[in-house]
Amino acid sequence: MRHLLTQSQKDKYEEFEAFVTANVEPFAEQWDREQRVPDSVLSKMAECGYLGCSLPRDYGGQGFDTVTFGSLNEAFGRGSSALTGVLTVQAMVSMALLKWGTVEQKRTWIPPLARGETIGAFALTEPGAGSALQSLSMEFAQRSGADTLVLNGTKKWISCAQFAAVFLVFGMLGPRSVACVVPKGARGLRVEPIFDLMGFRSAGLAQLEFRDVEVPAANLIGKPGFALSHVAPVGLHFGRISTACSALGLLRGCFEESVTHAAKRNIGDKSVGDIGMIQSLIASMGTDLEAARSLCYNACRAEDEHLAEAFEQTLIAKYFSSRAAVRAASDAVQIWGASGCHGSSPVSRYYRDAKIMEIIEGTTQIHEAILGKLFVDRAGRSSK
Amino acid sequence: MSIEEANGIRATVRGFISRASNVTNLDDDDNLFDSGIVNSLFAVQLMTFIEKTFALEVGIDDLDIENFKSLNATTAFVMKKTGRSGG
Repeated sequence: MRHLLTQSQKDKYEEFEAFVTANVEPFAEQWDREQRVPDSVLSKMAECGYLGCSLPRDYGGQGFDTVTFGSLNEAFGRGSSALTGVLTVQAMVSMALLKWGTVEQKRTWIPPLARGETIGAFALTEPGAGSALQSLSMEFAQRSGADTLVLNGTKKWISCAQFAAVFLVFGMLGPRSVACVVPKGARGLRVEPIFDLMGFRSAGLAQLEFRDVEVPAANLIGKPGFALSHVAPVGLHFGRISTACSALGLLRGCFEESVTHAAKRNIGDKSVGDIGMIQSLIASMGTDLEAARSLCYNACRAEDEHLAEAFEQTLIAKYFSSRAAVRAASDAVQIWGASGCHGSSPVSRYYRDAKIMEIIEGTTQIHEAILGKLFVDRAGRSSK
Repeated sequence: MSIEEANGIRATVRGFISRASNVTNLDDDDNLFDSGIVNSLFAVQLMTFIEKTFALEVGIDDLDIENFKSLNATTAFVMKKTGRSGG
C-alpha cells in the first residue's frame, strides 16, 4: 500500500513511526498499568501539531489530508490504542465544530484545539443511550427571555473526559436534538473518572454529571433539531476513520509481534514459525492486515475526495478492521503462549484493547445493521 | 431560472437518491425523511454529495429540513445556493 502514498504522505508516515517508537511504545504498558497518560506526551503531540492535525492552517492546524490523518492513527494505534483515543475524540470535536460552528464559534473554540492547548471530548453516550441515540435523556432547557441554556443529565463512557477542557455535549431541547460546547469549569458539572476498564485503560474515560449547568445559548452548535442528524454524524465519521486506522495499527502490531516471536522462539529443534498450525494463524493475520489496510486507505481517500461514498467505506473499514484486530490479538496471544498472557507483553494489552475497538464509534452490530440493510436494499434495487 | 438547469440538477440528485435507497420510482415531492425512503446515514451523505457535485458548501444557515425534504426541495436549494434561482 505504501506505494500508493505520495512522497509527502510517506515522509509524514515515517515521522509518525519515529515519534511512536521514541515516545509511545516504550511507555504504553506503564500507562496502561497506571491508567493514565502523562501530560508530557500530550504536550509533545501538541508540539508536533498532531492534536490539531486535520484542522486548516488558518486556524493553527496542520491541514493534513485524511490519508495522512489515517496514517497518524495507524502509527499511534501500533503503540497505544488508548493514546490514539485522544486523536480520535480531538478530531471528532474539532471537525464537528469546523463544519457546523458559526464564524465566531470557530474563532473562539478551534485555535486552542488546533494548537493542542485544549483537549476536547465528545459527550454523546449516556447510561441509557449508547447505540440508541434517539433515547438521549440529557435535558437542555432555555430560560425564557434569557440567552442561557440549563443542562441536566448524565453522560457516561466519555473518552478523554478526565483531562478534556471542553465538551461537545448532545441532548434534547424539548423534542429537538441539540449540541453545545461546555467548558470543564462550568458550575454544576462534575467529572467522575472511570477506572478498571478492560482495555483503553489510560484513555481517561469519565462520567459527567450535569446539575443545573448554565451555558450561554451562543454555545449551541448547529441549529436545534439537527444535532443527531448532522452534527453528531460529522464527528462520528471522523471518529470511525480514526478508530478504523487505530485498529489497523493494532492489527499490524499483532502481526509484527507474532512473526518476530514465531521466528525467535524454539520448540525442540524447530522454531514456532515452522509449525504449520502457527503458520496458518499468521497467514490469516497477514491477509487480514493487507485487507484492513486497503479498506482504511480507500475510506481515507474517499473522504479526501469528499465523496458521499466515504461514509459507507468508512463503516466498512471500521467494521472489518476492528473485528480483524480482535481475531489477530487473540491469535497473537496464542502464538506467544504463556508469556502473551502476562501484562508485560504487548500482545496481552492488544488483546484487551482490541475488543474496545468493536464497541466505540458504533458497535459491530450497529455497523452490521446499517451495512446489512444497505447491501440488501441495493441488491433488491438491482434485481428489479 | 432555467428549466433545463433545474431538470439537470433534479436528475443528478434523483440518481444519487436512487443509488442510496431502494426506491427507483421517486416522485418529485415525496418526503424522503418521513417516508423512511432513506437510511440514517443519508442526511450527511446527501449534504456531502450536493457539496461535491455542485461545488457549494452547506452551512449552518442552510440547516433547514425544508431544503432537503424532497427532490424538488433539494433542487430548489441547489439552484438558490448556486445563484441559478431568481428567488
